Amino acid sequence: MSRTRRDPRNEREAKSVASNTRRRFDLGLVASTSRRPRRDPRAEFASAEVEGRSRRRFDRTQTTAAIARPIAEAPHRRQEEVKPATRIVETPAFLVFAVLEAPKNRLSRFDRQVLGAARMLADAKDGGGAVVALAPAGLEEVGAAGADRILPFADDLALDDASRAAQLRAAMESLEPRHVLFAEDGRSADLARRLAASTGESFLADVVYLTAKQAARRKIGMTAEEFGAPPRLVSIGEDRVAAYAGAPCEARPIEDETHASPAAGSAIVSVETIPGDPASLSLSETDFVVSAGNGVSDFEAFKALAAELSGTPGASRVVCDAGLMPRGAQVGASGTVLAADCYLALGIAGAPQHLQGVAACEHVIAVNTDLHAAMVERAGLAIIQDAQRVMPALRELLEERRNAS
Amino acid sequence: MKTTVLLSAARHPVSGREALARLEAQAIALATRLGGDIRGLHAGPESDALREALGVGLSKIDRIDAPNGSDPMEDLASHLRAAGPDLILAGRRGQGGLDSGLLPYRLAERLGLTLVADAIAIEAGSEAGTVRIDQALKKGDRRRVTVRLPVIVTVHPLAPPPAAFAYGAARRGMISTHPVNDPIRQEGQGSEWEERPYRNRPKLMRTASASSGDAAEKLFVDPDPKEAARLILDYLERNGIRQF
Repeated sequence: MSRTRRDPRNEREAKSVASNTRRRFDLGLVASTSRRPRRDPRAEFASAEVEGRSRRRFDRTQTTAAIARPIAEAPHRRQEEVKPATRIVETPAFLVFAVLEAPKNRLSRFDRQVLGAARMLADAKDGGGAVVALAPAGLEEVGAAGADRILPFADDLALDDASRAAQLRAAMESLEPRHVLFAEDGRSADLARRLAASTGESFLADVVYLTAKQAARRKIGMTAEEFGAPPRLVSIGEDRVAAYAGAPCEARPIEDETHASPAAGSAIVSVETIPGDPASLSLSETDFVVSAGNGVSDFEAFKALAAELSGTPGASRVVCDAGLMPRGAQVGASGTVLAADCYLALGIAGAPQHLQGVAACEHVIAVNTDLHAAMVERAGLAIIQDAQRVMPALRELLEERRNAS
Repeated sequence: MKTTVLLSAARHPVSGREALARLEAQAIALATRLGGDIRGLHAGPESDALREALGVGLSKIDRIDAPNGSDPMEDLASHLRAAGPDLILAGRRGQGGLDSGLLPYRLAERLGLTLVADAIAIEAGSEAGTVRIDQALKKGDRRRVTVRLPVIVTVHPLAPPPAAFAYGAARRGMISTHPVNDPIRQEGQGSEWEERPYRNRPKLMRTASASSGDAAEKLFVDPDPKEAARLILDYLERNGIRQF
C-alpha cells in the first residue's frame, strides 16, 4: 500500500475553528494534495456573464475569455460600483504593441479586442509589461481599453502603405517590443504582412486562439492548424479575443525619436481617396443603416430621410415582401447581416430573424409605437412614438440645422 | 501588357475537391478587362483547379512541377524574373498552403516590386506604363492609386464577380509544365510551428455595447415628435456616427 491511511478524526480536528459557544468547523478548509489551484465554478460562471443586459445572460462559448479575464475581476451586480484606480506601469519589463485602425478617431470593437489581446500578453505570467497603442493622436478611450502608452501613428489615407510600414519598423527597432499585434482586417492586415516580409520576423496570421502560452491559426484550407508560442508579429481574427474589462490604464503619450526615412524609389505616382457614398453602398459595407418596417407607410419620405441622414436605406422582411422596398435592402437572417456601426429602426418591432441581422451593430435606435417590442429592448435609444410622425420632424430639424450652419 | 495571375491549390470548402479560389477567378476577370497577354502561374502538382481557371478566362497556364507542400516562393520568383510580366495578380489570401496571404508580399520583397493590396478595379493609366488601381478600404471608402509598372496587386472580395465557367474554353486551354530549377532544395515548407488537425472554435458573442445605460436615459415614452427628432440627432452626434 503506497497511500497513507486517512485519519478522519484528525482531519476534522484540524478544521475546527476557535469559538466560545459551540464547536465550529470550517469544512471548506481543504489542504489540496495536488498543486493545481482549486476551481471555483461560481466565479467562472460569474465571469461568463455578459454585461449591460437587464436580464442575466451568460456567454458559455468562450474559454479564452475566461482565461483573459482574471476570475477575481468577475462583475458582481449587487456590489456598489467603485471607480477603480488607474493602473500605472512606471518601468515596463517589456512592451507589447497594439496597432489600431480607429476609424473616425474612435475605437472599434475589433480595436478593443486587439488591445485586450495585448493586455493579456503584457500581464501574462509575471506581468510587468506595458501595452503601447499605436493609434492616431488624440484618441481618448484607449486608456480604458487597456493601453499604458500611446504612440502617435497616423492612419493617413494619403500616406502610402510602404512608408507606413517603414515608420512602424523604425518604431519597432527603437522600442523593441516583445509582440506586435494587428487586426486581421483591411490596412492592418496589409501592414502586418509588409512588416513580416521586409523584416523576416516570424508571423502568425489570422490567429483563432490566443493565450500567453499558445497561439493557433488555420491552414491548408481549414483542415489543419499550426500552433506555438505567440511570435513577435501576430494578427488576430475578429471576435477571437475578449476586450479588456479591468481597471483603466493611463495611456501616457510617448514619442519615438527616430523618424523613418520615406520609402525610396516607390513606383506610386499618385494617391486619391474617394469617400464612400452611403446611398449607393451595399448594406454589408456601410456604417449607418436607416431601416423601415411595417410602421412606415410613406416610403418617398423615408428614402428622402435616409438620403438626408446620409445613411443606407434598409427594410424589414414585411416591407420587402410587400414590394415597397427592393429585396436587396432586406436586413436580417434571410437578407443582409449587417456590420454597420449604427442602425436606425423606424417602425420595426424586431423579429428574431431581423435581430440576427443587426447583432453586430454597436448602436441601435428604435422608433416604435409598441413599448414591449424586441427592438425597443435591443436599442440604445428607444423612442415610443409613431415613426410616421417622427420622420417629418427629423427632416425639419435636419433642414433647420443645415440652414443654421 | 503582360499579366500573370498567380493560382493557388484551393479546395472547395464543402466538398473538399480541388477548385479555383473565387478571389483568383475574380483576378482573372480583372485581368481580362484590362486586356493584353494573360497567363496563369501555379507551382505544384497537377490540379483540376487549373482547368477551371482555363474555363473562366485564361488561355495559357504555366505550371511549375514542384512537389506538394514545398515552399513555392523561389520557383515563382525565378519564373517571374525570367518571364518579366508587367502586372502580377494574386488573391489576397492564397489557399491550400499556409493560407497566410504572405506570398505576394514576399514575392514583392524578393523581386523588388511595389505591392498594391485589396484592388477592386484596374484600368490603364493616362500615361503609358502606368495603371490606375482602385483599392477597397473600410466602410465603402475607395482609394485610387496610380502606379508605374511592373507591380504586384492583390484582389479584394468586392472586385467584380468572375466570368461564368465555359467548358469548351477549359478544354482548349494550354497548360505547360516547367521543371523545378533546384530539386535538391525542395525539402518542404520548414515551418517553425507544430501542426494538428483543425478544430473549429466558437467566436465571441456579439452583444450590445456595455454603454447602453439604464432605462431612464434610453427609453422615451410618447415624446413630442420634435423632441424625438432632437434626441435621435443628438444620439447620432454624441456617438460619432454623423455630424449635422
